[in-house]
Amino acid sequence: MIRPRCHTLRTSAVLLAASLLSAAFAAAPLSAQDVDPRILEAEQKRIAVVEKVRPAVVAIFGKGGNGGGSGVLIDKEGFALTNFHVVQGSGPVMKCGLPDGVLYDAVLVGLDKVGDVALIKLLPKKEGQPFPFAVMGDSDQCKAGDWSLAMGNPFLLATDFTPTVTYGLISGVHRYQYPEGKGLLEYTDCIQIDTSINPGNSGGPLFNMNAELVGINGRGSFDKRSRINSGVGYAISINQIKNFLGHLYAGIDTDHATLGGEVRTEDEDGLAARLVLRSILDQCDARRRGLEPSDELIEFAGRPLTTTNQWKNIVGIFPKGWRLPLTYRKGNDKKETLVRLMGYMAKEIDDQGKPAKPNQPNQPMQPPTGPAAKLYEPKPGYSNFYFNKVSRDRLLANFKKHGDFASVGGEWAIEGGADLPRKKGAPVSVRIADEKAPDGKQGKTTIKLDLDGLKYDLEPLKQGQDARTLRQPNGSGGLMLALHHYRQLLTRGEKGFVEQFVHGGHEPFYPPRADGKEPKNLKDLRVDCEVLLTEEADVVTKWYFSLKDHTLLGFEVWVEQQEDPCEVFLYDYKPVDGRNLPQRMEIRFGNERFGTLHLNNYKLAKSS
Amino acid sequence: MFRIRSIVCSLTAAAGLLLAGSVFAQDRFGNVSDQVNKKMVKLFGAGGFKGLAAYGTGMIVSPDGYVLTVASHILDTTDLRVHLSDGRRFDNVKVVAIEPVLDVALIKLDGVKDLPYFDISASASKPLAQTGDWILAFSNQFQIATRDEPMSVMRGTIQSFTKLQGRRGVFEASYNGDVYVIDAITNNPGAGGGALTNRKGELLGIIGKELRNTQSDTWINYAMPLQAKIEVQLENEKKSVSLVEFVEKTLKDGKWQRLDVLVIKGGQKGETGIRLVQDVVERTPPYVDVVLPNSTAAKAGVKPDDLIVYINGEQVPSVKFYNEIMGKFSPGSKLVVEVRRGDKLKTVELEVVPPTGKLVPKK
Repeated sequence: MIRPRCHTLRTSAVLLAASLLSAAFAAAPLSAQDVDPRILEAEQKRIAVVEKVRPAVVAIFGKGGNGGGSGVLIDKEGFALTNFHVVQGSGPVMKCGLPDGVLYDAVLVGLDKVGDVALIKLLPKKEGQPFPFAVMGDSDQCKAGDWSLAMGNPFLLATDFTPTVTYGLISGVHRYQYPEGKGLLEYTDCIQIDTSINPGNSGGPLFNMNAELVGINGRGSFDKRSRINSGVGYAISINQIKNFLGHLYAGIDTDHATLGGEVRTEDEDGLAARLVLRSILDQCDARRRGLEPSDELIEFAGRPLTTTNQWKNIVGIFPKGWRLPLTYRKGNDKKETLVRLMGYMAKEIDDQGKPAKPNQPNQPMQPPTGPAAKLYEPKPGYSNFYFNKVSRDRLLANFKKHGDFASVGGEWAIEGGADLPRKKGAPVSVRIADEKAPDGKQGKTTIKLDLDGLKYDLEPLKQGQDARTLRQPNGSGGLMLALHHYRQLLTRGEKGFVEQFVHGGHEPFYPPRADGKEPKNLKDLRVDCEVLLTEEADVVTKWYFSLKDHTLLGFEVWVEQQEDPCEVFLYDYKPVDGRNLPQRMEIRFGNERFGTLHLNNYKLAKSS
Repeated sequence: MFRIRSIVCSLTAAAGLLLAGSVFAQDRFGNVSDQVNKKMVKLFGAGGFKGLAAYGTGMIVSPDGYVLTVASHILDTTDLRVHLSDGRRFDNVKVVAIEPVLDVALIKLDGVKDLPYFDISASASKPLAQTGDWILAFSNQFQIATRDEPMSVMRGTIQSFTKLQGRRGVFEASYNGDVYVIDAITNNPGAGGGALTNRKGELLGIIGKELRNTQSDTWINYAMPLQAKIEVQLENEKKSVSLVEFVEKTLKDGKWQRLDVLVIKGGQKGETGIRLVQDVVERTPPYVDVVLPNSTAAKAGVKPDDLIVYINGEQVPSVKFYNEIMGKFSPGSKLVVEVRRGDKLKTVELEVVPPTGKLVPKK
């Protein structure tokens, strides 16, 4: 980690600067016409890039001016990226200087402790005043041998907040650097640079020569030399950060992921090493998808697998809970499946099979003060719950544009046909209604499902029901419960989910094809979504809204946390009394499709 | 006079820049980097303690698998491992030849052919790089890469071309010939044996081992040019050895006659024929590396791998101490040396003889 030690370093920097100045005076002046015009042109281009990106570079100061680091603005609202280890000591509020010479108040928004990333927000001096910001590039396009610019505030020497710029090569890409203690600060798939970075550069931007942000500088290899530039610095790739950005904006204390199994490289001596699953946890999703020890892992998230470093690199760039395509070989069969990744930071399951307590590193908890403190709300599992509410409410407001169901909280009657594995076009009808209890408070909800002549009843809120009952009809994973939750979300919103109602960041979602055919690659199905996370009566539901227009594309209902959810995919929205409703639902559970419902008759009664 | 010279200087500078051709300041080095990387290998061997890295870098110098690297402690193992740039792994790789005067070694990968390689002789026949020239440095510093992961590439300029002045207590270097001094931090742990190239990826030199000035606690970044040649003053004659000669002769028949054993440590008045292992750490145990044939030590029965424990009753804790104590004895002195061989202590008696220059090992 790159931590400045202010006083001594500043003195030596001054001395160094003095000696450099005298050297400059001694050198003979070189006139411009002696230099090849193409070199001058290259120089001008470089200067132009620096000019373009400079306004977005942030100087971050810790509490009482002790320590600090760098950062970079990524949108006009003043959100900026930096390192977790820069904000670690400063607490939830901090001061940030921009190259315009102005000192701003800032507040912590999101944290990625494993990835050593933090999102902060600078407060504008005038409401609505836009900030300059850097444009994010595609860091997978970076190659060893490319030029790069690192900017920031090394040794905290710029008292006017003007960033220092250094220029050098990208020395390597897709590098893996082990965690620095307690499993945090693991640099996966990172960018190695010989561009000089020093204490104080931490959290600052790495730019390519197109003025695009490709990484966040944060670490170096030092070994036995002192903790200053050794020609080997590391930047967290911006592509990894993009995966976490939805979570960070939502104020989540994010976690990285693991498959839930151990891998090892086999046939190392041969030309083609193979990555083989050595062991796998019983409770993990990969196990339920059919993976077993000695299966060979071929490709994950679209990248081929051969070495364990590479495996750690590829898995390490994703947040916990994401589903990603995994290609594996069992015997002679090659298969592709979606696996849901487990959390990395805390062992999710302890030795007794109970969920383990999250392993939170110590953070000084003093109540923040100043104008930024108004934008801070602590809550376990969140770095700043204030921003979760902001993201959640914005999501709900956008979703409401597709229809406001608040007034149709009466009985829902839905009819149509069902395509089941055993029969096509079977009749289906669903009725969901609430009954007021005699005391007028505790309501009772009943769901009645008639599917191909078979009748099911469920009271989802009744105490002491076993999972089997809640999962009716058999093989659906909980279709009736899912429909109840769907109605709750649409008609009651936050009030319908007492235990939890939060923004869950961004996740990829994979709606199956409308024609029922398997895709060539599962990644072809991927739609990036905003997630809402709800919980009622211990049943957790994840709702997926497309980033594009906030259509609800589907949801997953967990009757039991360590089991597969009932997956519902929603298609063919059509307006019904001015509200958009899906005309088709596909229901899946585990590795199977339960059926497809064609719902052409919705009767939604007004709230009584 | 002064004015004329300055005009000449600026003209040559401009000409140099024009000759640099199409390689420009913002060109990307991705392709050069890929090409060089194919000729590089990662080494894994002895070390991992006392701040000694157990990894290093080498470059392929023949299509059939000779690899040039620095003569470092990592080679001192029976299980030297090599990773090629395509991910192939080789275990128990054999060290074919070491020349400590040049501080280089050649190892050989078995069962390979048609590997991409650096032609050392051809590259060494080109002119030296100049002060101010741009360079690229390729190495597996800090063991960042394994298997098929590529080397780190760095960029810098040549600061000077000078003699590496290895002095006791300052820079402990066994090579003291010409070096390129580089302005980038190229000589990190494990970088020794890496490639120094020009911007086109043409080989200029071999990156040296980490070298720290013990007085100022500073580190030097340098590489040995391919044209390196060392003259050694033996007792009665001067001998020279060049890197090209070392590589060419070894590649021809896999044999190389070490020159370093003929050199007597500075300050010693007499000779017993014992040569110790390389002094790599602060207190390197004084193990016998070579015993010159027909020497008094050979006649007394000293053998390679013996550990010298006492000389005339005085404990000998390190190679440094051995060299110090040996400097005190004149020819004619009698030594009682206790060595540990396996589990047993053995006492031998030696006589220090004048260095005759006749102690030439068998061809």
